[in-house]
Amino acid sequence: MSTTLERSREDVQPPGPPAGGALRRSADWARRAPLLPALVFMIVVTQLPFVITLVISFMNWNAYYPDERGFAGFDNYVNVLTDVATRDAIIVTIELTVVVVLVSLVLGMLIALLLDRKFLGRGAVRTMMITPFLVVPVAAALLWKHALFNPEYGLLNGGLTWIWGLFGSDDPPQPDWITMAPLASIEIALIWQWTPFMMLILLAGLQSRPLDVIEAARIDGASAWQIFRYMTFPHLRRYLELGALLGAIYIVQTFDAVFVITSGGLGTANLPYTIYQTFYTAHDYGLASAAGVITVIGTILIATLALRTVSTLFEEENAR
Amino acid sequence: MASVTYDKASRIYPGSEKPAVDSLDLQIADGEFLVLVGPSGCGKSTSLRMLAGLEDVDRGSIRIGDRDVTNLKSKDRDIAMVFQSYALYPHMTVGDNMGFALKIAGVGKDEIAQRVREAAKILDLGDFLDRKPKALSGGQRQRVAMGRAIVRSPQVFCMDEPLSNLDAKLRVQTRTQIAALQRRLGTTTVYVTHDQVEAMTMGDRVAVLRAGILEQCDTPLRLYQEPANVFVAGFIGSPGMNIAEFRIEDGHAVLGRARLPLTTTALSALSAEGADHVVVGFRPEALDVVTAQDAGAFPVDVGVVEELGSDAFLHGTLPELREPSGPLGDNIVARVDPAHPPAKGEQVHLRIQPGKEHLFSPSTGLRLPT
Repeated sequence: MSTTLERSREDVQPPGPPAGGALRRSADWARRAPLLPALVFMIVVTQLPFVITLVISFMNWNAYYPDERGFAGFDNYVNVLTDVATRDAIIVTIELTVVVVLVSLVLGMLIALLLDRKFLGRGAVRTMMITPFLVVPVAAALLWKHALFNPEYGLLNGGLTWIWGLFGSDDPPQPDWITMAPLASIEIALIWQWTPFMMLILLAGLQSRPLDVIEAARIDGASAWQIFRYMTFPHLRRYLELGALLGAIYIVQTFDAVFVITSGGLGTANLPYTIYQTFYTAHDYGLASAAGVITVIGTILIATLALRTVSTLFEEENAR
Repeated sequence: MASVTYDKASRIYPGSEKPAVDSLDLQIADGEFLVLVGPSGCGKSTSLRMLAGLEDVDRGSIRIGDRDVTNLKSKDRDIAMVFQSYALYPHMTVGDNMGFALKIAGVGKDEIAQRVREAAKILDLGDFLDRKPKALSGGQRQRVAMGRAIVRSPQVFCMDEPLSNLDAKLRVQTRTQIAALQRRLGTTTVYVTHDQVEAMTMGDRVAVLRAGILEQCDTPLRLYQEPANVFVAGFIGSPGMNIAEFRIEDGHAVLGRARLPLTTTALSALSAEGADHVVVGFRPEALDVVTAQDAGAFPVDVGVVEELGSDAFLHGTLPELREPSGPLGDNIVARVDPAHPPAKGEQVHLRIQPGKEHLFSPSTGLRLPT
């Protein structure tokens, strides 16, 4: 298509330099060529693996049964959706995502409202509040598992011992947190990591609040709570949606926390962890790939919604 | 309905020594339309925001009626404000925007709907009540902002440059509408603008501010005819007053060939100050085109002639003066007969109409008695 276009353009301008078309074409290539390695690299790294996964998901391929390798049609997908373990994993994934997103949104909003006020050392406090989000996920999970939840030497039980000690008791309760509430433990660790992310988005939302509208509401007689209820909250709605959707995309894919804290035991295996197990423990590459594709489809659904929210956000900013 | 009193009210912004508003003393009568006018940064908006409770009053007090509101929150002052940006609630419909204050005040749904409908009828907004502000034109948004104020029937309207976001034609139209609406409602109104034409056409009285200090507060006509000092003289009127420093020579103010006889009261006031100069101001319409032989006539080189149809303004320079001799430099503006305007580059002779000059002290800038 591009060649016909260029030829017609050449026809239109006969008095141009004789080799104009060829020159231009080589100039175009000189401009594009440096981008090529990046493009090839990106395709090799992101697109090829996905295509291979897609192909494998339609194959019967288990390393323990090398002779049975072959085309399987939709068998793997049917297995994923009917298998009790994967269905449980889907439910765990949804529960984990919903709880972590909602709680970290609420906490993030409260902290953002506090950090939006003026006080001494606000910049330092804001930076410190963000740090949990900057910690490597595995390190964060290890921190929660060993430094905080551990029943023998964890900070939580240490704190209980100290508090009980204050009242002269040497028999403090020493619960085994992770055994008692395995999913909640993972959720708490994730909420700790994701609250700063929500806080950042909501703080940006709070700072883009038009000041004169708040002043108008004050003059119209609204109290601080009513200003939040009728002005701030509706303004933050889009930012809340954005935070929820972006957070959901990432938390659906959580692997580190589950792997480190419970290793998927006690009914905490979510989809990514189940896929990992199917692949590396059961060596059923076809089934694992099918589960992976289903996760991708789910994530794309959420991502589409997220992008739509982001674009309406931009439209609104432009309309202002 | 209520009067408004600024009693030596000052506002000093944190981190600054100089007050943004310096002991403002102003009495605004019940039902009056008072305009605060001045160049940007003069403290006019700050004064209004102090009344609205959006700025602290650092010294002095503000009263609405007999109520001292200095330390009251905005919501307890019973005032309504129209912002320059309109500050409409973006996620609410026009009707909800206008009814918000009533809803907060706990007024019943039916009454809110009725009062909003009445206000919408006054402002010709009936068809837009279900729209969001985004879907309105600038003029319509401005009317919604007005509607939000009048629905509440507050004691005082505060308006902070409500017309400056409209185009020139709509601004003139809306100007008269707001003034008429205010007369009809009879609500005390404090209106801030930087546009002296707006100030002159709308206000019952106009307060001119400069650098946080009230320069003069009077009816528009008196501001024009008897400006209290050089600043007010130069600020009020369009095109501005010609202001120049004249030498005093045997009972006359002299600049080049222009000679103005001075009254004995003016002369004695000047000699009390020990001044050998006097600041003379004369409006463009106080100049006549005359022949060179007339007494007091001085030559002017015509630079530009602005022809407006009903008027024509001559912008010229005085050829006898090489150095600027006042705030306007050596430029002079005169109103000339629009039917026979002088040509560009021509030299004409002008004369100041006797008794139409304004005299100001060269040291204090205050008006001298004539």
